[in-house]
Amino acid sequence: MKKVLLIFGVISLLVFIRPALGLNKDINPNNTITSVQADQVNQVEEGVYDGAFKGIKQFYNYTGFANASAGNLIMILIGIIFIYLGIKFDYEPLLLIPIGAGVIIGNVPFVAGNQTGIYEAGSVLNYLYFGVVKGIYPPLIFLGIGAMTDFSSLIANPKLMLLGAAAQIGVFATFLGALYLGFNLPEAGAIGIIGGADGPTAIFLSSKLANGINLLADGTVVKNLIGPIAIAAYSYMALVPVIQPPLMRLLISKEDRKIKMKPPRAVSQKEKMIFPIVALLLTTFISPSALPLLGMLFFGNLLKESGRTERLADTARTKLIDIVTILLGVTVGASTQADIFITKDSLMIFGLGAISFVIATMGGLFFAKFMNLFLKGDDKINPLIGAAGVSAVPDSARVVHHEGLKSDPTNYLLMHAMAPNVSGVIGSAIAAGIILSFLG
Amino acid sequence: MSHMLLYIDQISEGYIILITGLLIVFSALLTLAVFFKFGLPVLLYIYKVITKRKDKKIKDISIEADESFTGEVAAAISAAIHLYLHEQHDNENAILTIKQARKLYSPWSSKIYGTHNRL
Repeated sequence: MKKVLLIFGVISLLVFIRPALGLNKDINPNNTITSVQADQVNQVEEGVYDGAFKGIKQFYNYTGFANASAGNLIMILIGIIFIYLGIKFDYEPLLLIPIGAGVIIGNVPFVAGNQTGIYEAGSVLNYLYFGVVKGIYPPLIFLGIGAMTDFSSLIANPKLMLLGAAAQIGVFATFLGALYLGFNLPEAGAIGIIGGADGPTAIFLSSKLANGINLLADGTVVKNLIGPIAIAAYSYMALVPVIQPPLMRLLISKEDRKIKMKPPRAVSQKEKMIFPIVALLLTTFISPSALPLLGMLFFGNLLKESGRTERLADTARTKLIDIVTILLGVTVGASTQADIFITKDSLMIFGLGAISFVIATMGGLFFAKFMNLFLKGDDKINPLIGAAGVSAVPDSARVVHHEGLKSDPTNYLLMHAMAPNVSGVIGSAIAAGIILSFLG
Repeated sequence: MSHMLLYIDQISEGYIILITGLLIVFSALLTLAVFFKFGLPVLLYIYKVITKRKDKKIKDISIEADESFTGEVAAAISAAIHLYLHEQHDNENAILTIKQARKLYSPWSSKIYGTHNRL
């Protein structure tokens, strides 16, 4: 080790004193006039310091300190807050920590033109971001989700599927809100899907509609809103445990919160195998634009339920989804480069996102109450599970379960809440398909 | 003026998308729900009829799934089976039989073996 340091030190010393020793090519070695020599040496010395200063100055100009703007610093702070929230409060750490790290990576200031930033063609980050821009990562995530999800509670109690549809009111209400705020139709569609509470779907739709490439009818280019939409969707998904409980307590009476639902019947393996095939056919025939998402979702589920492809299902639900989540998280985080991210639009998107989560939750809760009007006795549903219709799987089901336990410590709602939760995933993918077919 | 017109047009189109979109989402999930409520039991019934054994009568096969057999019952049964299989390790046969090794003699380091038997 000492030797290496010594050699390195000697070499660096040589490099530094090279001009002084007269090894530079700039210096004319044939100058033999002695009277001028002294002058020459002075000049050379000046040149050395000048060069050193210039080098240091140039080096400084390339550093983050010289290029930092307030926006960069704010975004880095936000990245650190994301990481803090993920670690300290355990809010979806698998998402918030990659995204937080990505936000920091994306906002380290740099000099443009060296293929460094995520928006510069040819940079490594840009290649990784390709999967987001072209909507490649979301279907892969859906494959993993399909291989993880147990649809049996939904098969046992199919009427709960309607709660997943009811929560999609949030999507369309936000869409309308965005239109009133002056966004174009495709942009508004992409913003609306935040209400679906489904990160991959939001990225998929925004990469198709608001990608900064498509042309509008009047000839202008649509804005690139993938970054803000993805960040809004994922951060509100992480905040489900904060947003939903107050709404539940506000809208559902104490007696209703205590309703015990009868346990779901056991579902046979045959039914579980038929479900992905039939659901795939029915939903994609109705909304073919959602094919990449729903196709992969039900394909993943078939891998799980067929009983013959356990290896494939295992890869899809562990390694594959982990890899894609890492890439997606970091690149979506890095796409929040301050000069592109900090705009009035992003702020409006964040506002609309919060409202859409509230509307979606309320839609689910009210529809559950509405369904209860027609159900009698044992069949009554606990309206709390309506909140799980937003498709933040499985967080919102867990929140519902906790709220149920607070009212009645013996009331276990988790399995019941999973039904609207997974149907919310299907519902938001269908909604995305519909918006895409209208505006794409 | 034209901008204003465009704006109004967008909003009205937005309402159309809102209503049709919600309708389609609801109808899609409703179709799914209806199919799994009514269609699937019939499908399974037909399957059972086709694959029934000769000694069984069609009358004995019911369309409705057994409602009293809940997931909780299934979970209890599977937990019991799991525990039973898991505990089987504790009841293994304690008698260890020492079988005589087939080969008593190994010539790996024997000089005399080497001289008698050409390897």
